[in-house]
Amino acid sequence: MAERITLEVPATVNALSTIRTVLGGLGARLDFSLDDLEDIYLATGELFRTALQDDSLDRLSVEVEVADGELRLAAGAFSSPELRSEVTVHEESCLDLCMLLRSTVDEVDVEDTGASYRVVLVKRRAGESP
Amino acid sequence: MTGRDEHRANDPLDLEALPGQASHLGADEDDAGHGPAADSQGRGKDDSEKLDQYLLRRYHLHGDRKAREQLITMYLPLVRSLARRYASRGEHFDDLVQVGAIGLIKAIDRFDLSRGVELTTYATPNIVGEIKRYFRDKGWSVRVPRGLQELNIRLNKVIDELVPKLQRSPTINELAEASNATPEEVLEALETSQAYNSVSLQASPNGEGGEEDAGLIDYLGGEEEAYDTMEDRTTLAPGFAKLDKRERYILHLRFFEGLTQSQIAERVGISQMHVSRLIRRSLEKLREEIGELENPQILHPSGNDK
Repeated sequence: MAERITLEVPATVNALSTIRTVLGGLGARLDFSLDDLEDIYLATGELFRTALQDDSLDRLSVEVEVADGELRLAAGAFSSPELRSEVTVHEESCLDLCMLLRSTVDEVDVEDTGASYRVVLVKRRAGESP
Repeated sequence: MTGRDEHRANDPLDLEALPGQASHLGADEDDAGHGPAADSQGRGKDDSEKLDQYLLRRYHLHGDRKAREQLITMYLPLVRSLARRYASRGEHFDDLVQVGAIGLIKAIDRFDLSRGVELTTYATPNIVGEIKRYFRDKGWSVRVPRGLQELNIRLNKVIDELVPKLQRSPTINELAEASNATPEEVLEALETSQAYNSVSLQASPNGEGGEEDAGLIDYLGGEEEAYDTMEDRTTLAPGFAKLDKRERYILHLRFFEGLTQSQIAERVGISQMHVSRLIRRSLEKLREEIGELENPQILHPSGNDK
């Protein structure tokens, strides 16, 4: 059965510590390796830092779900077209956000929710197939 | 010149002062034949060792506080000599001497007469350990409880041991078991590394603080030829010019070659946690640099944290 934790945090980098704590706890329960956890920490950190720069947000909504050996993080509600582009478009030879996310998590997706959107990151245990 | 020799050479209370220094302490029948007066005809190391033993016996067996004070005074030059090694690391020399003196006092107070070792041998790692602990405490930008700092440092070692043993990155539960901690404590300790600032490269990674312990500097890899042979596309990526060779190499391995942090640690010869810190620091530098380029078209143009 899936376990879901929903957080509503101030849109500041300080909130990252809280989010990492939740990700770490759930990741440990999934028996994620340290490398897996470092990857999801890194991806979440870079996504949030970029979002805070690009989007004028007061609060962030973060939903973390675990099921079937995978950890799924959905964050929003974003409205910045720049952020959407950075998440989805990779420019060759650039260590851009798109490349960083794809190097660290198994799936990156953008979910439209009316006027805004959420960015979804999925991390599986190393060696787990979708 | 050894630390001991240096200390003796600088010590105004050394052998020349032996008879006078010992006289105020008085003779003690228990120490007959072992006190400095009995050997005052000689000169050199043996005399000072006997004076040490005499004063230590006075203090430990008879509670003579003056003997303790004299030992502290005698060994302050050794403290200064050891503190001088760390004086170029951004802390005031006088502060280091004070911290080292605490290590000396602990060594004198805990000295076990029955073990038959010299006070210098016992005091040196205590003094150095106290100075290292001071650097370790000062290396955290946010005050982190000592227990978590030590667990964090212990984890560094445990990870380095488990990766080759398991042939993969360890899980949190494995780290908890190997470090005698709970998974929650491990996660908390790992999280504290976010508050880690600039621990001394000589700080002991195993938290023991002994002089024989390897420092973090021993875990750093040397300049690798491979740093120069990475593909040009990496070095030409925006912002990369601001990174040093090793940072570029590590980012190249992680994001252009797809190696995990554990694999990079093995390749470069540093700890996984150090790789993690270097990646975070490098990304921070890139973010700042690309922000300064004022080119919004370059991807990942985020500037300072909000």
